[in-house]
Amino acid sequence: MSSEKDLTGPELQRMSRKELVELGNSLDGVRVAAEEPGRGAADARSERRRRRLVTLLLVASLMFAGAFIWVYNLWPSAYVPPGAPGHTTYLFYTPLLGITFFGMVAALAAAMVLYVKSFYPNEVAVQELEIGPSPETERFTAAATFAEAGEQTGFGRRTMVRRLGITAFGILGLVGGMVGLGGLVRNPWEGRDDSPLWTTGWKPIGGETVYLRIATGDPTDIRRVRPEDIDQDGVVTVVPFRESERGDIEKLRDAESSPDNPVQLLRLPPDTQVRNLPGREDLHHGDFYAFSKICTHLGCPATLYDSQQQILLCPCHQSEFAITEGGRPIFGPAARPLPQLPITVDADGYFVARGDFPDPVGPSFWEIRRGSH
Amino acid sequence: MTRRVRHALLVLAALVALGGAYTLLVPAPQTASAQSGQAQIDQGRALYEQACISCHGSNLQGAPDRGPSLVGVGDAAVYFQVSTGRMPLARSEDRGYRRVPAPEFDPDTDQGRANLAALGAYIQSVGGGPQVPAETGPQLIGSDVGHGGDLFRLNCAYCHNFTGRGGILGAGRYPPRLEAATPEQMYTAMLSGPMAMPVFSDKQLTPEEKKDIIAYVLAVRGQNNAPGGYDLGELGPSTEGVIAFLVGLGALVLVAAWIGARS
Repeated sequence: MSSEKDLTGPELQRMSRKELVELGNSLDGVRVAAEEPGRGAADARSERRRRRLVTLLLVASLMFAGAFIWVYNLWPSAYVPPGAPGHTTYLFYTPLLGITFFGMVAALAAAMVLYVKSFYPNEVAVQELEIGPSPETERFTAAATFAEAGEQTGFGRRTMVRRLGITAFGILGLVGGMVGLGGLVRNPWEGRDDSPLWTTGWKPIGGETVYLRIATGDPTDIRRVRPEDIDQDGVVTVVPFRESERGDIEKLRDAESSPDNPVQLLRLPPDTQVRNLPGREDLHHGDFYAFSKICTHLGCPATLYDSQQQILLCPCHQSEFAITEGGRPIFGPAARPLPQLPITVDADGYFVARGDFPDPVGPSFWEIRRGSH
Repeated sequence: MTRRVRHALLVLAALVALGGAYTLLVPAPQTASAQSGQAQIDQGRALYEQACISCHGSNLQGAPDRGPSLVGVGDAAVYFQVSTGRMPLARSEDRGYRRVPAPEFDPDTDQGRANLAALGAYIQSVGGGPQVPAETGPQLIGSDVGHGGDLFRLNCAYCHNFTGRGGILGAGRYPPRLEAATPEQMYTAMLSGPMAMPVFSDKQLTPEEKKDIIAYVLAVRGQNNAPGGYDLGELGPSTEGVIAFLVGLGALVLVAAWIGARS
């Protein structure tokens, strides 16, 4: 919008601040329809009272901030079980963080609201806006300017350069996305027959014996299992262990935390009638059966063991696997039997794995019937 | 005297006679004091022959369709089943679920404890099996609650929920809540594997580890694990999500409406 008055520098310098504000408003088509001072400015007493309240709230916010920093850094936050000394103190850690943080933000917000309501003027301003498209002159001239720029820079004529340029900029964007997302894409078949969908931590490496170790949640606690360690109707979670891993905390932790490693070793009563699935006749050792804990439906831990009926139940979708039928699914959405680990006992009386699971562990996938890749 | 009144008196007299004969003929429940050895076993046999023999047989061999053999279950199983009121069984529908224990086997009374020990000694003397620990009460509560929590999540949480609030099994059965279980009952349950529960031998979970698990259960049950004031049943994230959604979002909507009405 162009100014209707042509004001020179000295004229502008002579104008007061209020006149300049009015000039700016009129240039922008803004008109102040009504204006009155804020509520707090009514009389000196009210002004003082409101000013003090705002000050008090700001000081309170600062004190809450200080209290938050103090609680965050100095309040005892380590877990203390009920009954132990210091349990009550510990209980207050999280609530105190919340209370002090809330106080800090709430006092600051209240101070802002109070200040604005008290001291900002109550003003109604109206701005005239044009409705509909810009005037024809503006539209035609703008379009001509754009076309002229295309002509002068030559992008209008040089189509090859223009297209390549656009493509190059697009690819630049894609490269940025690739760097961000590329790391998330993996080829599951990279390891060919050793790819993680076919193998687990039980796969023998270099002929080294793979023992069954009790998972205790503590990787330094190495307990290999012998048949006499488990009573009839017992079940224990075991993970693979190799003597070369003794002392290697990373590998021991990996063996416990790798999702397809956990196996439940079950001991059935001695006179249990078991109909093993074809191909699974000799995977067990006496009354001891080792099954993957991972449900073949969607990979939840199928670990609710009913020792009376010898059934493993998956809590996610109620799939049931009959141990007396070689891990066959007898109820629920699971379609494949639980993979069974071939086990035996070595010369020293410890359970060892006789190889990896013959079947893939966990949920099914497209290539599962091929058996290898 | 009318005929009707005469009949009523006759029935009353017959009932009184029957009740008196019952009181005279049925022996009072056996009580046991601090006995040991053969005397305690004899005491236990007497209790067994009153309360258990009709389903479990005269030689603990069990009876078809009535009760399983008790040979080899050990006094740990006896203590768990009888002190939690699961046995002796009054109605077959109650099988496997906690009830108020029979008065003569109430573990909160001296006599009940003595009777439990005697019955256990008898079962133990016949078939052997896992035994009730020598320690009791606070001695069965371990010191490492955190490790107990690890072991609980590894071995127990699948069925009993991560804070012992019970769960589900197939065919309408459910693993119990651990709200009322005493340390002795938890310990003997792990040792004996009652009903569908697997057995956790002392080599698999050492006595110290069992005590840590007990300490964990005691630390999280009741309202012990509710720093927010109420534990919402500790059924899992769904309850907490629903409450957060209804209460939290509801409060935000109300605040937004209030702000809108004020400005």
